[in-house]
Amino acid sequence: MSIFDKTTNALQTTLGMRQMKHTVTSANIANAETPGYHAQKMDFEDALARSLDLDGLRKQSVTNDAHITVGGHSARVRPDIYENPEGEVSNDGNTVDLEKEMSNLSENAIMYKAALNLINKKMAALKYAASDGR
Amino acid sequence: MADFLSGLRISSSGMTAQRQRLNAISSNIANINTTKTPEGGAYRRKDVVFEAMPDARNFGEVLTGTDPRAKMNRVQVTDIVSDTRAPLVKYEPGHPDANPDGYVAYPNINLMEEMTNMIQASRSYEANVSAMQASKDMALSALEIGR
Repeated sequence: MSIFDKTTNALQTTLGMRQMKHTVTSANIANAETPGYHAQKMDFEDALARSLDLDGLRKQSVTNDAHITVGGHSARVRPDIYENPEGEVSNDGNTVDLEKEMSNLSENAIMYKAALNLINKKMAALKYAASDGR
Repeated sequence: MADFLSGLRISSSGMTAQRQRLNAISSNIANINTTKTPEGGAYRRKDVVFEAMPDARNFGEVLTGTDPRAKMNRVQVTDIVSDTRAPLVKYEPGHPDANPDGYVAYPNINLMEEMTNMIQASRSYEANVSAMQASKDMALSALEIGR
């Protein structure tokens, strides 16, 4: 068994995805007044949940411990970046909602910090174990 | 893979663009009564043109559309245009720039319009500053992993 388990890998992927989502939101904010610009949206939660096999649907394909598991490849999660269909088109064809983008930005930063805290807890536990409980 | 530097780059492009817009607005307000310009005639109000530019680097990934950065756009001022509104004409026969009939062409600048644009530009600038601050906070706290 590796000391870095499925959770650590998932958290690592989450950090990468949150970072990317932050960039997408920053781009929307920077282009809040560019005529004809369409706000972009990014989703990764579903892809991550699927790769972690949270619903247990993929367990069925593994009937023996020696089989290679399908889930857990969270490092290869592909995010989905698309034009936000909810945007309201203004006179110049821009669909950025600045208030929404700012709240997305803070929400994403908080979720990033949450994932970071979890990683730090994991690391603290490892450190505790590695130092013989001292 | 997008990194924090691209987030910073994008936010700073937004700040630069808004600052340039603010410069144009300042120029419009300063020249509200200017009747002489190098190109001749009254001053014409200036406006900046914003354009979204993909923040992508890798040609292959851009070509196949697999680079997520191709969808993250910087903003750039690609042109500064002069307004085409007709100048305001006032009857001032004593003015050195008056035409033979005694009329002087003044810039057609609406101060209210410039002030609202100015507030909009500075708010947008602040939004970019917040985004950049958040990028910085996230990057700095990532350095604390395992401390």
